[in-house]
Amino acid sequence: MFAKLYLLYGFMVLGGIATAQYRGWSLDRISQVKNVPRSIRDNPGAYRSIYSSYHHYTGGK
Amino acid sequence: MGAGQPPIPPQPPRPPQPPGPPAGPAKPQVKSLNCPQCGAAITLRSFQQAVTVVCESCHSILDAKDPNLTVLQQFKAATGELKPMIPLGTRGKLRGTDYEVIGFQRRTIFSDGEQFDWHEYLLFNPYKGFRYLSEYQGHWNDISVCKSEPGIEHRIVDRANYLGEYYRHFQTAEATTSFVLGEFPWQVRVGDPVIVMDFVKPPHILSYEKDKQSGEVTWSVGEYLYGKEVWQAFKLQGQPPEPIGVFENQPSPNTVNLKQLWGRFLLLCACLLGLLVMSDLFSSNKVVFSATYQLASGAPKGEASFVTDVFELKGRESNVEILTEANVANNWIYLNYALIDQDTGRAWDFGREVSYYSGSDSDGSWTEGGRNDKVIVPSVPPGHYYLRIEPEADARHPAISYKVEVHRDVAVFGFYGWGLLILFVPVALLTFKAISFERARWAESDHPILKSESD
Amino acid sequence: MTQPIANCPNCGAKVVFQWPSSVQTVCTYCQSILVRSDVDVKKVGQVADLPPDSSPIQLNTEGIYKNKAFVVAGRILYEYEQGGWNEWHIVMNDGTSAWLSDAQNEFAVSFAAKVPPQSLPNASQVQVEQQYVWNGETYIVTAITIAHYKGVQGELPFQYWDKTDVKFADCRTHTGKFATLDYSDEQPTLYLGEFVEFDDLKFKNLRQFEGW
Repeated sequence: MFAKLYLLYGFMVLGGIATAQYRGWSLDRISQVKNVPRSIRDNPGAYRSIYSSYHHYTGGK
Repeated sequence: MGAGQPPIPPQPPRPPQPPGPPAGPAKPQVKSLNCPQCGAAITLRSFQQAVTVVCESCHSILDAKDPNLTVLQQFKAATGELKPMIPLGTRGKLRGTDYEVIGFQRRTIFSDGEQFDWHEYLLFNPYKGFRYLSEYQGHWNDISVCKSEPGIEHRIVDRANYLGEYYRHFQTAEATTSFVLGEFPWQVRVGDPVIVMDFVKPPHILSYEKDKQSGEVTWSVGEYLYGKEVWQAFKLQGQPPEPIGVFENQPSPNTVNLKQLWGRFLLLCACLLGLLVMSDLFSSNKVVFSATYQLASGAPKGEASFVTDVFELKGRESNVEILTEANVANNWIYLNYALIDQDTGRAWDFGREVSYYSGSDSDGSWTEGGRNDKVIVPSVPPGHYYLRIEPEADARHPAISYKVEVHRDVAVFGFYGWGLLILFVPVALLTFKAISFERARWAESDHPILKSESD
Repeated sequence: MTQPIANCPNCGAKVVFQWPSSVQTVCTYCQSILVRSDVDVKKVGQVADLPPDSSPIQLNTEGIYKNKAFVVAGRILYEYEQGGWNEWHIVMNDGTSAWLSDAQNEFAVSFAAKVPPQSLPNASQVQVEQQYVWNGETYIVTAITIAHYKGVQGELPFQYWDKTDVKFADCRTHTGKFATLDYSDEQPTLYLGEFVEFDDLKFKNLRQFEGW
């Protein structure tokens, strides 16, 4: 019984993966922005990236 | 026989007598006798099958075959001695057959200086005969004598073969009867030692018992019973005692066939691998844009951000992979990316860092980070796109050259890694649970799975 | 099946041998043990009242063994140190004799085996845990019992009325089969059979127990 349920579960996982693959889903964190003005092409500096305040790694060991 | 018989003296012929009435039902159902020791009433419930009977009031063990009930032995019962949980004389239906409880005994083994007691209830049905119920710390077994002789096979752990099934040796111990009540179809004495060996194949148990004096061997086979089944069978009041620990032949609460489950897991892994190969084959993975840029050394002069040429993304709505390769060495470059749809103004915004450090210390040489980075942008509809790129770097960085490549519709390997993990979790949990249960079962045996420190 | 009727030489009552294989019977009126020969019926002994026992089987109990109907024709009640057991003489519907033993409600059906007696171990040789092979099966001697008859009832396929102790060796296999070496006669006799479940024999006309 459980083995059957597990098989069902497994196929659901596989189906999910296939769907994710087909629909082009991603595991990466990407933000969406709407209505970026066309003028950006002429003045790229007018666009402010969401991640520009990112804390940079300056490390090494 | 027949040969050399003394002649039979002739007897006077007797007139034929009318045949008597057909033999009526056997009775009395309960034969009433009195204890020769204390005079208390003795009840015999198994008709003429009783060999020994124990007086309930003075604990004299009496010879049931003797009409005068000779006292065979008398034993002292501790005051406050446990009463049988199923009183003698109780009737119940066990596996479709009515049985009456006619005898009770407590048996004791000493193992590692510890005393273990279990209880046995002798059940009787005049047609089906005898059966036993054993109880140890709330664990019950339904036991009957083996019809066939099991064979012991010597292995690393001995096993017994009974009717083609193998039972694994659990424990060998010397047991004595420490308390008796009621009647038994065999000679029972308090203190008589027997060697007992248990072999298990949950939910079944195979027990070998050898009388140390007579050498007589008895094999019996039992099946685990839950207290509530016993309570239902004998319509007992209250609740059965809660079982303590894991018993020798207690069925694992894990009813899953682990072998089968692992088989299913491997099957699903194969399917997962197949899916991975398929998606890698069927993903177009087309390079739609590729360019190399330079970030000049030192502090940025003026606006660092720029936009790329427009490229076309074709096909169905699918993912887009952006690969960044930078020749960093002991420094970093950070790129603020925006993938912008030229026509709709919709943008996907993400930042990527490429950093690579290397060196050597007392542990030898080391590296950290890498010169490549990739990111997957989800569900991008077809259309005309360009990238806005804003590079950042350390104030005193050397000139960094970096390459940006855009691929349409790629296989996402991360899905398969996660998929594998998700498939593995239930199998791993159940296997762990089953192993823990088996470890608890065998911990009390002569063959613990993992020996504890004290052993 | 009913055989010619004779009269009991002791009391004159009618004696009916119901089964062609029967050699001995007990007169139901005077309890004389009667043995038939080609010509007549002779009294060879006398049984006391059968001691009470608890077998659920009785004379004329019917049952089915391996798709063959049988009826209980007689019995020998044995007694030994630790108790007793019943050997019920059953007649199968093909006329063959067999034994249904009831030892504390453990039932077994056995047939006299056609084995040359000189191939069997003699009484002094046989010991517990010895192994013998009969009909390709390995039998292990599990118990040796010294017993004597305590009573007989009904029809038996041989004469049996001697009260001397005799030796029996019980043997078992790992497969539920059983054998008895019977040392009642000078020549040992082997009975081969198997343990049977009470319910599998589909008994009819069993003894009644009050309250059960």
